[in-house]
Amino acid sequence: MPAALAISRPGRAQPFADVVAENLDAVYRYLVYITGDRVASEDLAAETFEKAYRGWRKFDPHRGAPRTWLCRIAHSVAVDWFRAEARRQRREDNYMRDAQMLEESVFADGLSPELDHALHRLTPAEREVVALRVLLELDGPSAARVLGISQTACSTRLSRALKRLEEEVGDVRV
Amino acid sequence: MSASEFEGHEEIVAALTAGKLDAPEHLRRRVLAAGPGAKGARVPMSPRRRFLLVLPVAATLAVGAAVVHGAFFAGSSATNGADARLLPLHIGNRPGGSVTGPKGPTGAAGATGANGATGHIGATGHNGATASGTPAYPLPNAAGSALTSKTAHRSAAFEEYQASGAPVSPQKSLSSLNTIAIPKGRLVHATAYLSVGVANTNALTQATNNATQIVTSLGGFTQSSQIDSSHFGSGTAFLDLRVPLAHTETAIERLGRLGHILSQSVSTKDLEQQAQKETSQIGQLQRTIVIYKQALATGTLSPTQRIDIQIKLSNAEHQIAGTRKQHSKTVKAGTTAEIKMSLSTTHHGGAAGHHKTGKLGQMLHNIGTFLGIEGLVVLYALVIVLPIALVAALIWWLTRGRRQRDERRLLAAETA
Repeated sequence: MPAALAISRPGRAQPFADVVAENLDAVYRYLVYITGDRVASEDLAAETFEKAYRGWRKFDPHRGAPRTWLCRIAHSVAVDWFRAEARRQRREDNYMRDAQMLEESVFADGLSPELDHALHRLTPAEREVVALRVLLELDGPSAARVLGISQTACSTRLSRALKRLEEEVGDVRV
Repeated sequence: MSASEFEGHEEIVAALTAGKLDAPEHLRRRVLAAGPGAKGARVPMSPRRRFLLVLPVAATLAVGAAVVHGAFFAGSSATNGADARLLPLHIGNRPGGSVTGPKGPTGAAGATGANGATGHIGATGHNGATASGTPAYPLPNAAGSALTSKTAHRSAAFEEYQASGAPVSPQKSLSSLNTIAIPKGRLVHATAYLSVGVANTNALTQATNNATQIVTSLGGFTQSSQIDSSHFGSGTAFLDLRVPLAHTETAIERLGRLGHILSQSVSTKDLEQQAQKETSQIGQLQRTIVIYKQALATGTLSPTQRIDIQIKLSNAEHQIAGTRKQHSKTVKAGTTAEIKMSLSTTHHGGAAGHHKTGKLGQMLHNIGTFLGIEGLVVLYALVIVLPIALVAALIWWLTRGRRQRDERRLLAAETA
C-alpha cells in the first residue's frame, strides 16, 4: 500500500470513501499497536474516521498524505482514550483483558507468541513508533509529525523500541 | 524507510511485517455508514494564497469606502461651510428688555429677561474644520427669513466664492454685520466673539497689530492679547478688546475685515433698568443720611438712640458708597463693549488649499483624510490586538507543551 496518496484531480482530493478503503486497515492496525486492544481499536478507528470525515473539507493535501493526517487524528483519539482509561481506573480490567488476550495474538494474525508477548511488554509510545515506521511505512518526517516530536527523537525512539523488542523476544525464548 | 534505522533489526522487522491484521468487515461497514460520501473535498486555499486574495479585497474595500465618504463628505463639507456664513446675525434689542432671535446652529438664541434683556446670536460652523475658511456673506435682515432663504443665499455665495477662489470682499462681510443693531442712548453691555481666519503667521501678526490699532482709533483699548505660532506655519492669537459702545458695530466691521470671519456671535445685556435701580437706591440712601444727620443735630436724643442712629448712618454711608461704586461700574459696562477676538491660520490654510483646487481637490483631500483615519484604526487595532495575540500565543504554546508532556508520560507509562 503506498504511503502517500496521489491527488486525483488538481484542486480536489480523492473521495473520502477511497481514503477509507485505502487507510482503514493501516489506521486500525496502528491503533491496535498503541492500545493493545482490538475491541477498543475498532471504536477508536470508527471515531478517527468520523472526525476525519468532519474535517475532510479542511484537509490540505499540500501539507501531507491522508495517511499521515489520519494517523494524527488516530493518535489524538488514542491519547484521549488513554486519558479516559486512566480516569476510570481500569488498569485492573485491562490487565485481565490482556491476560486473556495473551492466549491469542492481539497485534496481528500470524505473529509468533514470543513477539506478541514482547510487543505487550513495550510501552504504547514504543509500539506506536514501531507501527508507524515498520507497519505503516511512514517516512521519518511524517512519523515525527504524527507523534509531535522531532525526527531525531522519532529515530531514537524507534531504535530503542526495536532493541527492546528484540531483547523481550530473546527473554521469552530463553 | 531508512535502511540505517533498521540496520541490525532486520529479523525483528521481518517478523513484525509478517503478521497480518486487517480491519474487520463490520468496522469497515460502520465507518462507511458513518457518512463519507463520494464527494471529494475541496482543496483548501493555502494561507499565503488566501492572504494574497484577501489583501486586495480589503484594500479595495478601504479605498472604496474612502472614495464614497470623500464624495459624500465633499458635498456636505461645502454645505456646512456655507451654512456657517449664512447664519442669521441679527439682534433686535427692544427697549425694556427683551431680545428675540432665531435659534442658530450654535444653539444660542434670543432670551428674555425681566430686569435686563440679554440677547445672543452667533454664527459658527458645525465644527472648526468645516467652518474654516468660510468668509462672511451678506446675511438677511430678518432672522426668520434668513432661515428660510438660507439655501439660496448659500449657493449663490458659495458659487461666487468658488469662482473667485479667494476670501470674499470685506464689503461682503461688512454688510453681514450691518444687521447688528445695538441700541443708542441706552446702557447696554455688549459682548462680541469674533473668530477670524488669516492666511499665514505673518498675516496673523499683522492682523493682531491692526486690531489693536483699530480699537485704539475708536477710543478703545486692548485689555489682553496672546499670540502663538508654530513652526508649521499655523498660529493663533487671542485678543480681549474694549471699545466704546457707540463704536462697537464699527469696530466689529473693521475687525472682520482683517481676514475672513470663521464665526461670530454678539450678545447684549440691557443695563438701563439696573442703572435706574441703582440711581434710585442712591437717592433713597442720600435722603436717609440727611434725616439721620438732622436727627443727630437736634440734640434731643437719648445716648442710646444717638448711638443707634450713628450706627445706622454709618451703615447707610457705607451702603451708598458701595452702590455708587456699583453704579459707576454699571455705567462703564453699559458704555463699553467687550470684543473677544481670535485669529487663526491653521484651519484657513487647509481650507484655502481645498478651495483652490475646487470640489475635486476637496474630495481627494477627504479621501486622503478618510484613508488616514482607516490607517489609524488599523494601527490602533494592531496595537490593541497584538499584545493580546502574543499572550494568547504564549498561553497556547505553554498549554501545548504541557499537553505533549502529559501525552508522552501517558503513553510511556502505560505498559500493557
